[in-house]
Amino acid sequence: MKLEEYNKIVKKHSAKEDKFKNVLIAFLTGGSLGVIGQLFTTFLEKCFYMPLHECYMYTMIMFVVVSSILTGLGFFDKIVSFAKCGFIVPTTGFAHAMTSSAMDHESEGPIKGIGSNIFKLTGSIILYGLVAAFFLALIKGVIM
Amino acid sequence: MTLKFNNAYIKNSYTLLGRNEHKVKIKTDKTIFDYYDKEKSVEQGEVNYQIKSLKGLLKKENLTEKNINVLVGGDLQSQLFASSFAARKFDIPFLGIYSACATFAEGLITASLLIEKENINNVVVNTSAHNLASEKQFRFPIEYGALRKKVNTFTATGSVSALITKEKTNIKIESATIGSVVDLGYNDSNNFGACMAPGAAKCIYEHLKETNRTPEYYDLILTGDLGVYGVSILKEYLNKEYKINANNIQDAGVLLFEEKSGGEIAGGSGPVCLPLILFTKILKENYKKILLVATGSLHSKTSCNLNESIPSVAHIVSLEVIK
Repeated sequence: MKLEEYNKIVKKHSAKEDKFKNVLIAFLTGGSLGVIGQLFTTFLEKCFYMPLHECYMYTMIMFVVVSSILTGLGFFDKIVSFAKCGFIVPTTGFAHAMTSSAMDHESEGPIKGIGSNIFKLTGSIILYGLVAAFFLALIKGVIM
Repeated sequence: MTLKFNNAYIKNSYTLLGRNEHKVKIKTDKTIFDYYDKEKSVEQGEVNYQIKSLKGLLKKENLTEKNINVLVGGDLQSQLFASSFAARKFDIPFLGIYSACATFAEGLITASLLIEKENINNVVVNTSAHNLASEKQFRFPIEYGALRKKVNTFTATGSVSALITKEKTNIKIESATIGSVVDLGYNDSNNFGACMAPGAAKCIYEHLKETNRTPEYYDLILTGDLGVYGVSILKEYLNKEYKINANNIQDAGVLLFEEKSGGEIAGGSGPVCLPLILFTKILKENYKKILLVATGSLHSKTSCNLNESIPSVAHIVSLEVIK
């Protein structure tokens, strides 16, 4: 049997993911995360008189810390299975992936375990984030 | 390749279930509600499971290590960590085997072949699986933030040991078929049922052809861990490719998680699904002729990253229950 024919059988019998529902949930959950971020930023700006770029930084740190703690306590994957990509795509997903791989390899020791595995998946986010930032800065420097 | 056996019998078994998140209802000899089993890591936890199931079996049968001629074991961890490290606690000659989720059937076949030798009387077949350890090994773990798909199966945690003897008992290993590795080019590592169905189908076809039997000859065809969708795929594929109509197929992974299968998960997977269901459920019911079709998906994390398709294998063991 050819692969195309087999794929048809597989498609016919396998459960389909409800894409529209998933996207809608991700839109709502991711959006509410954005609202929380904005509220937190405004709160820092108005109450602590911080410059705006510092407020953004602290907001991001807040998200990373909170989701790392939730991952450590074992709640985050339950939240994600409900909130879908709304919680994975933002920085909360980054923190979650980082903390989970650290926990996964914790038993192998601080150097060969946690140290060399903590950025297992998130390493690519950091690497390509830096590369993208470099080229964007280059474009900005050249054009402006 | 079908082999006939004359003096291979399953004498006893010891089933151990680890912590499970889907509330399995089967009655095992022992249940440990701890992924770590008081060890530092999940991998060592799995080693403990195997040691406990082996010791349990020896105790049940009142045997010592000296009475066992060979130990055949396998699991899902790389370099067979769990089996080899459990075997170091016993003074028994050890054979480590790997066929992914078809490991238990490969063990039964190896044991039955060994039993045919004159000076071998008792062989123990042992296998184990651990959800967290195998997630770390094979898949993009859920804990990394990936979403579980509906077609995903869930690796069952536990360990099963079985004693194969020459001594006549009521469960006879009648014949076995060693399957070949099949690859249609399918490469979705989320849908293991679809990956393994072609391997299972080919092995079933070869077994029936070489023994001149029909699917109706068996009271039950028990597949290992195809999941709800995998079984439907297998039935249609068998029909279209080999013109075989089999309506007596059940899947151990589906039976293990019962009503949960087909909901958030497609069923159970891993080498322990088949023996767990066989020893705690199927052998207690009134089936006389049982065909075990253990299916295994032979991929690794590296092979998936290299964009290779997923080959599958299935091994068949035919059991006769004499009551």
